[in-house]
Amino acid sequence: MEKIILLIPGIPIIIAFLLFFIRKKELIPKVSIMLSSMIALLALYGTYYVISNDTQIVGFDGLLVYNELSAILVPYVAILGLVIRKYATKYMWDEAGYRRFFILLNFIFASIYLFVMSNNLIVLALAWQLLSISLYLLVSFNVGSNTAVKNAKWVMIIHKAADLVFIIAIILTYQTFGSFDLTELSAKWLSMAHTPVDNPMIFVIGLLFLIAAMMKSAIMPFHIWLPYTSEAPTPVSAVMHAGVVNVGGILLNKLAFLLILAPAVLNIAFVVGLVTAIMASLIMLTVSDIKRSLGYSTVGQMGYMIMEIGLGAFSLAIYHLIVHGIFKATLFLESGALIKLARHDSNLPKRLTYELFWEEKIKPKGKKLFNYLAFFAILPVVAFVGIKMVLTDDFFELNASIIILAFAWLTGTQLFLSFFKVSKADSLKVIFALVSSFVIILFTYEFIGLALEHFIYGENAALFYKAATFNVTTIMSLVMLAAIMAVGWLFMYTQHFVKVLKSDKKQDSLKWSFYKFLAKEGYFFNVIETLKGNKK
Amino acid sequence: MIYNILFLTLVGGIPYYLILEKIPAIKSKHIFLLSAFLLLSTIILSAYVPNEHKTSLVIVSLVSSLFTIYKATKTTNFYKLAYYFLFVNAPFFVLYEGESALYSLSLLLSLLGLYWIGRFYERNYGSANYRYITGITLVRPYIGTYLTFYLIAIALYPPFPNSLFFLKYILGSESNLLWFGVVITLFFGNFFLAMNVMKKTLFGRPNSHIHYVHMTAREKMPHILIIGMLLLFSVFGLKEILL
Repeated sequence: MEKIILLIPGIPIIIAFLLFFIRKKELIPKVSIMLSSMIALLALYGTYYVISNDTQIVGFDGLLVYNELSAILVPYVAILGLVIRKYATKYMWDEAGYRRFFILLNFIFASIYLFVMSNNLIVLALAWQLLSISLYLLVSFNVGSNTAVKNAKWVMIIHKAADLVFIIAIILTYQTFGSFDLTELSAKWLSMAHTPVDNPMIFVIGLLFLIAAMMKSAIMPFHIWLPYTSEAPTPVSAVMHAGVVNVGGILLNKLAFLLILAPAVLNIAFVVGLVTAIMASLIMLTVSDIKRSLGYSTVGQMGYMIMEIGLGAFSLAIYHLIVHGIFKATLFLESGALIKLARHDSNLPKRLTYELFWEEKIKPKGKKLFNYLAFFAILPVVAFVGIKMVLTDDFFELNASIIILAFAWLTGTQLFLSFFKVSKADSLKVIFALVSSFVIILFTYEFIGLALEHFIYGENAALFYKAATFNVTTIMSLVMLAAIMAVGWLFMYTQHFVKVLKSDKKQDSLKWSFYKFLAKEGYFFNVIETLKGNKK
Repeated sequence: MIYNILFLTLVGGIPYYLILEKIPAIKSKHIFLLSAFLLLSTIILSAYVPNEHKTSLVIVSLVSSLFTIYKATKTTNFYKLAYYFLFVNAPFFVLYEGESALYSLSLLLSLLGLYWIGRFYERNYGSANYRYITGITLVRPYIGTYLTFYLIAIALYPPFPNSLFFLKYILGSESNLLWFGVVITLFFGNFFLAMNVMKKTLFGRPNSHIHYVHMTAREKMPHILIIGMLLLFSVFGLKEILL
């Protein structure tokens, strides 16, 4: 009976097939939502089954599995899918290609389910590629727009390269370990973890999987496909930012036991994650387009996620991707709804956030740098330290991954403030809201995150932390935390309080060059144009 | 050796460019039909005559493939594109010979679909050239769907059999530098060319100077058959690769 849960990846394909023959437009979303509700119910039942019986559901000759990881991710994706389909019902109604949209949406969800539930490297590779092509067709959904098609080309090139790297990695895995079955491979890797391993091929395989994950998760320098997909319909953006970019983290979680054998790969993951998190968070604050800013925010969050993996906090990455996914999907869907409402009403539609924080205040500006830095930089640190001290006695042996979570929170708050223009809002309320959110995040991680770790990896979780040889000390973590906060808030401050220089005053050249570097997104497109020989 | 040379002539492309393309009486659709027939003959022949490929022949066919990719980027004609795709994949036929029969058949089926789309264009728009027939996805979704299926199959994406058989062969083979050259060339060559066609005719704003024609039920039949066969092949391919 429980094996029926393994049919989940096939249901969206059946929906897509049915939609192809449905004539009435009104029936398209109805059928889609009704059958996807079934997926959500099946997923919840599957999770209940896995938790209550403390077992996995394996089927199709061991090709698919509903294990602890699936039990967490499949219901999340299913519910997200349901919300997005419901949202798209009205949002996409007037768009040409309504049926095509729902068919493609179902294909992309099918590939995500298949990816999460696969227990075989070949199935994983098929889902990985199916995801690429579905994403391409969705990103270029607005086929009449040249820029949408052009940007979709970037998506496709990077994803195709990720496909190749992934395939080469699985070929080498098969040649080295003689199996495609993930359960068998994981057992083999786990047994090897207890003795020292000296096989450079394991490093190569781990590195190739990491590169493939980086490409799909928009980690620098492969990030460029994500911020430029803003022309895609809003529900597609929500799927991309809450679902598709997470597959890199999911892949690395599926291969967690392999990465224990290659600590150097974990160190590389930490470093690239760190660079991505810092660079993307800074670029996010300098780019002028709000949707691109959201894109860079996601890139930054993916950087944090990879950093967490680099530190051996695999389950934290899962927790992070779920929380971030919910947050970002809400943001995109709300922005889409706001745009739609604004088309009918020239006044900004009042939302909860607006009513809570938006109070126009005309106050003298420019002399409050210290106060703001004190509030925004010191208060969160005090809250953070306080919570950790309450929860654990040995605070100074704190888990470095908590710091990463703090980084993530800070970037989120920076974005939040950019979005709602803190300079004009009621600052005390904003501070209160942000600190509360920080406290909630830390508490949920302490209680839910650690439970999640125990649920997914059990006693083996300790092995990951041992394998991650890059030790981030408390002091290093706090210094990084403070540096990132200071830079972030300084940008916020200069954006809102510093007067724009008149043309006769010269800007400091180093600062100006740095700002230009960030605002031009690291000159990536200038380099491409130069290579093409199109530089004007 | 003679067999190898014959094989290369049949699938290698360059003889076509040197001889057939220069003869005005022979049209590109004839070249496709001829080359498809010859490839089919070669597949059957290779099943009966066991033969080891020579490395030098793989290198020659790889060079020919790269040259064909270059030529294919210059064309906007479905017929030409159909046989160019055959020649792009030539190194694979040479490298895997007898084993590549299923991949070759899947490719031939997808190209046959492309050929039928070309015929439809020729009948309704004067030629198989798709340069100005833009935005098909928006204005004629059925034709857009068929074309999308063929191009996705050619670009080596699942669930189409081309990708499954391609994956099956490369997973089970010994890798060396030449192997990497062939795999990467085919993996990206097919992909870039297929994406190029997508960009030029499936996507874009519909051309207001053109009256877009619907496919009749009779015209749809070959496509439904081809796609049905491709899906059947996919089921077989999935069984081959997974079980």
